[in-house]
Amino acid sequence: MSDARFRNPGWAGNTGEFDLTEADVRGSEFVGEQPLDGGHPSVAPSLPYMLVKKDPEAPLFEGPYLERFEKIRSRYPMARAALIPALNLAQELRGHVSPETMDEVAALLGLSDAFVRGVATFYTMYNKRPVGRFLIQVCTNISCNIRGADEVLAAFLEHTGTELGETSSDGDFTIAEAECLAGCGFPTCVQINSRYFEDVSAKDVPAVLERLKREVNDGF
Amino acid sequence: MAYPYRHESETRILSRGFGDPAARTVAGWKAMGGYEGIARALEIGREATIEEVKASGLRGRGGAGFPTGLKWSFMPKDARRPHYLLCNADESEPGTFKDREIIRWTPHQLIEGCLVGSYAIGAAHCYVYLRGEFFESTRVLARALEEAYEEGLVGTDVMGSGVDIDITLHVGAGAYICGEETGLMSSLEGRRGEPRVKPPFPAAVGAFGMPSTINNVETLAATPHILRHGGEWYRQWGTEKSPGTKLFCVSGHVRKPGNYEFPLGFPMMELIEDVCGGIPNGRALKAVIPGGSSVPIMSAEDCRECSLCYEGVEAAGSMLGCASVIVMDETTDIVKQVRRMAHFYAHESCGQCTPCREGTAWATRILRRIENGRGTEDDLDTLVEISEQMTGTTICVLSDSLAMPIVSSIEKFRDDYLALIRRGERVGAA
Ligand SMILES: Cc1cc2nc3c(=O)[nH]c(=O)nc-3n(C[C@H](O)[C@H](O)[C@H](O)COP(=O)(O)O)c2cc1C
Ligand code: SF4
Ligand code: FES
Repeated sequence: MSDARFRNPGWAGNTGEFDLTEADVRGSEFVGEQPLDGGHPSVAPSLPYMLVKKDPEAPLFEGPYLERFEKIRSRYPMARAALIPALNLAQELRGHVSPETMDEVAALLGLSDAFVRGVATFYTMYNKRPVGRFLIQVCTNISCNIRGADEVLAAFLEHTGTELGETSSDGDFTIAEAECLAGCGFPTCVQINSRYFEDVSAKDVPAVLERLKREVNDGF
Repeated sequence: MAYPYRHESETRILSRGFGDPAARTVAGWKAMGGYEGIARALEIGREATIEEVKASGLRGRGGAGFPTGLKWSFMPKDARRPHYLLCNADESEPGTFKDREIIRWTPHQLIEGCLVGSYAIGAAHCYVYLRGEFFESTRVLARALEEAYEEGLVGTDVMGSGVDIDITLHVGAGAYICGEETGLMSSLEGRRGEPRVKPPFPAAVGAFGMPSTINNVETLAATPHILRHGGEWYRQWGTEKSPGTKLFCVSGHVRKPGNYEFPLGFPMMELIEDVCGGIPNGRALKAVIPGGSSVPIMSAEDCRECSLCYEGVEAAGSMLGCASVIVMDETTDIVKQVRRMAHFYAHESCGQCTPCREGTAWATRILRRIENGRGTEDDLDTLVEISEQMTGTTICVLSDSLAMPIVSSIEKFRDDYLALIRRGERVGAA
C-alpha cells in the first residue's frame, strides 16, 4: 500500500478515488429544502444554527419562526426544556447570543434572566460575540493533533490574517480552535458554519477559503 | 471505491448501508431487512423483547459496556408515569467517530433502534440528544424521521400495532459533559449540563423526573438486527463476555484510518497492520489508546497480544471504552498529547466537584510546564498525586478520565517525561 494520503470526499467532491460525490457524502439532496417553520414537529428543534446570514437586529420568533417555536414547545413535558432549542433559534437568526438576546429569550419563556444567562454561558456553541460570515473551527484534539492539526490551524490564521477568535477585516472569517468533532478518521476535521470539511491539510487551506468566498451568498 | 472505510474481512452488520445513499430512505432500508426487527418486537411483546436482547449479550457501546437487556429490565413495569428513552448521540469522546457515521448513512437503523428500545421499556417518547456540531448528519436523520412518520412507522399506532411511540430530535449546544447520562438529562431539561449524584438512578428518576433509560447510538442500532435474527444469532460473533460485532474507529498514524466492523475479540495488531494498512513511512508503533481518550494508554508491547473485546483490553491494562483505537507512531510526542488531553478535560469540566475542577486545571499547568522544559522530576509525583485525588471522588467519571491517561503515560513513557525535564535542566544550567 502506498503512503499517499487517502482522501475523503468530505470537501473536495470526487477525488478520483471514490465514486461518491460530495452531495452523496453530505446527503444534501436527500435532505432537500429545510422549511423555516421547522417541518414536522419531531424535527423542529433540529435546524442548523450557524449560518452565513446573520441579522443581529432580527426579531425573535415571528412568522414561520414562531410556528416552529410552538411546534418545539409541543414536544416537551415541561416549558423550560424549550430553552436550548430557543437559544439555538436565536443564534440561527442573529448569529450570536448577546446578553440582551438571553434576556429576551428569558422573557419569552417566563424564566429569570439570571437562569438563562447561566445556561447560555455554559454551552460553547453559543457565540457570545459577533463572528464572521464563516466561523471556522479547527479540531486540534488528539487524533487530528498527531496528524498535523496545529499546522492546519496556523494556516487558517495565516491565510485570513487573523488571530485566534478575531474576525478578518472583510468580515468573512473567524477562526477558532475546536475539541474533537467526531471526524477523527479523516484528520484534520474542520467545522465551517454548519458543515464539516474533513481531511484538510495545511496546504488545502487556501483552496478551502477560496471556495468559501465563492459561496458567501449561498446561505450555508 | 464507493466508500473509504472498507476491508474485505469485515463483518458488516451495522455498517452494511454505509456509503450507499439509497440506505437513507425508508424503501432502501426496508430492502435491507429494515423495520423487520421492530415488527418482530411488536409481535412477541415487551418482556420477550427484553429477553431477546438479554440473550444476545449486547453491551452498551457508549463506553461503559453495561449489558443493555439488563439495563432495560430495571425500568418499572407499571405504566402509571411516563417513561422516556434517551438516545445518546452526543458523540464527543476524542477518537470516536462511529455514531455520526451511523446517523448520516443509516438514519433508519437508529430510528428503528429507538423504536425497539422505547417499546421494550414502555416509553411513548424517545429523545435523540444530538451533538450540536452534527448539523449535517442531524438533518439527514431529520429527513428520515419525517419519512418514517409519513409511513406510519413512528408516532401514533406504530405499524398498526396500537402502540404509540414519538421520537424527537433534540440538538445540543456544545459541551462534552452532556454526553454523561445525567448531564444529558439536565441539558435536555433546559439547564446547564451538570451531572447529578446517583442514586437515584435514571430508571427511577430520570429525564423530567420520570423513569428513563439512556443508550448510545450504536447500542440502539444493533437491537433491530438482534430482534430480527434472535439473540443466539448475535452470539455467533465475539466472545462469551463480549458478544457481537462492533465498529472500531481507527485514527492516527495508519494508512487507512476509518470505521471498520469486526466481531469483538479481533486482534488489535491485525486491525492496525492488515486492515488499516499499517503505519506509514516505515515507522514503528509507539503507543495506542484503545478506547477513546479517557482510557489508559498502552505501549507497543501491551498491544502485541491484545484482542479487542472488553476483557481482552482489560487484561492488557486498559479499557475498550468506545473502541476508538488511536494509533501513535514513534515520532509522537506523548507529553504534548497528554497535555492536550488535560487541556480538553479542564475545558470540559463542569466545575461542580473540586477535585475535578482544580485537578484538571492544575494537571494542565504542570504538563505544560514539563512540555516547555521547565518541569522537575517532583512534578511527576505531583501529577500522580493529583490523579489519585481525582479518582473515585467526584460526581461523574470525567475526572477519572483524565487521571487514567496521566498515570498510565507516566508509568509507560516515563523516559519521555524525563527527557524533557533533563533537557530543560541542561538549558537552565547553561
Ligand atoms: C464525561 C462523559 C462523557 C460521555 N459521553 C458520551 C457520549 O458522548 N456518548 C455516549 O453514548 N456515551 C457517553 N458517555 C457514557 C454515558 O454516560 C452512558 O454510559 C451511555 O450513554 C450509556 O449508553 P450505553 O449503555 O448504550 O452504552 C459519557 C460518559 C462520561 C462520564
Ligand atoms: S467530575 Fe467534573 S465533570 Fe463530572 S460532575 Fe464533577 S466537576 Fe462536573
Ligand atoms: S480528534 Fe479531531 S475530530 Fe476527533
